[in-house]
Amino acid sequence: MRLRNGVYHLMTSAVSDFKRSKIRTFLTSLGIMIGVFSVVMLIALGLGLKNYIEGQFESLGANLVIIFPGMVFSEEGGLGGNFGPGFAGGAHFKERDVSALDKVSEIDYVVPMFFKSMVLSANGEEILGYVTGTNEEMFTVSNIELLEGELFSRSDNQRRRKVAVLGYSAAQELFSDPRVALGKRVTASDQRFTVIGVAKKKGDREMDNSLFVPYRSTFGTINPDKTFFAIYLGITSKDAVETAKQRAEETLLKYYEEDDFSVTEQSEILSTINQIFTIINVILVAIGSISLLVGGIGIMNIMYATVTERTKEVGIRRAIGATQKDILLQFLTEAVTLSVMGGVLGLVLAGVMVLVVRQFFPVALNLLAVVLAFGVSSAIGIFFGVFPARRAASLPPIEAIRYE
Amino acid sequence: MIELAKVYKNYYLGEEEVAAVSDVSLKIKPKEFISIVGPSGCGKSTLMYLVGLLDTPSAGKIFVDGKDVSGLSDSELSVIRNQTVGFVFQSFNLINKFTVLENVLLPTRYTKLKLAFDPGRRAEELLNKFGIYERRNFFPNKISGGQQQRAAMVRALIMNPKVILADEPTGNLDSKTGEEILNLLERLNRDFQTTVVVVTHDAAVAKRTQRQIKMRDGRIIRS
Repeated sequence: MRLRNGVYHLMTSAVSDFKRSKIRTFLTSLGIMIGVFSVVMLIALGLGLKNYIEGQFESLGANLVIIFPGMVFSEEGGLGGNFGPGFAGGAHFKERDVSALDKVSEIDYVVPMFFKSMVLSANGEEILGYVTGTNEEMFTVSNIELLEGELFSRSDNQRRRKVAVLGYSAAQELFSDPRVALGKRVTASDQRFTVIGVAKKKGDREMDNSLFVPYRSTFGTINPDKTFFAIYLGITSKDAVETAKQRAEETLLKYYEEDDFSVTEQSEILSTINQIFTIINVILVAIGSISLLVGGIGIMNIMYATVTERTKEVGIRRAIGATQKDILLQFLTEAVTLSVMGGVLGLVLAGVMVLVVRQFFPVALNLLAVVLAFGVSSAIGIFFGVFPARRAASLPPIEAIRYE
Repeated sequence: MIELAKVYKNYYLGEEEVAAVSDVSLKIKPKEFISIVGPSGCGKSTLMYLVGLLDTPSAGKIFVDGKDVSGLSDSELSVIRNQTVGFVFQSFNLINKFTVLENVLLPTRYTKLKLAFDPGRRAEELLNKFGIYERRNFFPNKISGGQQQRAAMVRALIMNPKVILADEPTGNLDSKTGEEILNLLERLNRDFQTTVVVVTHDAAVAKRTQRQIKMRDGRIIRS
């Protein structure tokens, strides 16, 4: 009872002081507000980006092994040593690799991926989209379903027929109604493809803006080197994944150096993404924390000024029986209230901002960010408030009461 | 009740040591109405703050109810101040951001024991008795000096202390209001049986008390 009464009194006392100097209180809290806001926003952005990329990989089927050029992903699932050459150089996979991999018994199907950003034109319209050269198994791997028409087949690929499945967004932009695209021609780099199918909306920018064509049909002006960016392997069962990876590696080692390619499972990719984003998040939070630190120093500064200003009050309180601890708690409560107030404001602002940004970019708030905002702002209040509060508490009562 | 034995208090003004109180021995008995008189700078206020345990002596001992307080910690001294002593100041020393009622109740916030009375009710009774009940929700700077000093006296009395220490309580008031405050101090000594110590440079004020302690240059010259 006495404790509750005490805390209540401390809080009301602090608030009554804030009311008397609203501008000062607001400006002091502002530092913490900006700090918490930026930390929470940066976490939300990092988290959103991570969720987005993870989602991209998870939408691919299970038991999937991906072969990338270079050592992008190391064996341990960590980030490989030569990230740069990974995407820029390394192996350029060829059709010969696809046929060789197809002979491995643990591998159910092999999906070569050629991917290029290109201008697509049809119907007098032009858009910047992508040409994805692949085979019929790609639709299974990527869970692409049709809105209209049909998928291209194995024989379409072998005969290099100029047929295509058009992504939903590309179809909408080129033909305004995706359904009328069927049977129309789409031109990419002077090659004309007949649309035989339109895909359902995937919610993925690249896929929705793609023109999916049989990979052999790209050989020529679109893909003159006849190479692939990556090869996806569907494995017969989960237990066979390890063996399949080994066999795939052995197969490719006949043509390439060890460092020219990497054979990775989805789980390894996910754990690497996780690692990358943990590092990014730590860096972002560290940057955001600088503003928290500055905010904390602002609080300390104001609290020192407040203590000097209220020396007389401290003297009066000491004369009527306040102990040093009572005075310490009074000023500490004030600092923490000030700081937590800023923290809550920053959090609310970040919440609103997340709702707005979510329209354009995948951001996410989590409980950790909320707990962190409260925890960090109270910790800052305590840390930066304790020194001024100790000065107030250690004022000799007789000098404090005589202070004018 | 409160006893000082060969108490000294020295201050440093730069390099120079100044003796504010020298060799003072004094006994304050229950229910006494005492004045400490002397010219300004004679050490009478310093003596009062020593009696009120707001200041500590450079040498000598202070006993409260027969107990030596020189070895007590700061928080133990605070507890004694809270329960045993009530201060009344020349400049009232109310906290302006709190209302009269909140000021009066402040000592009860700092008490470490369970109170034998209901703070709210006791505050109301005392405010009534001192004629400022109507002003209880006013802020101190919105009421007159006399009313502020009455509020300060209620604050000093709320914990039912054994001794009220008043430092020039009429110094900031006109003579008529000062007279009223003195009457109230007299009454609370008589009606509440509280020991009252008034520090003053005014011989007329001192005359109203039962016992006068005269000081000069930090020493008691007559008691």
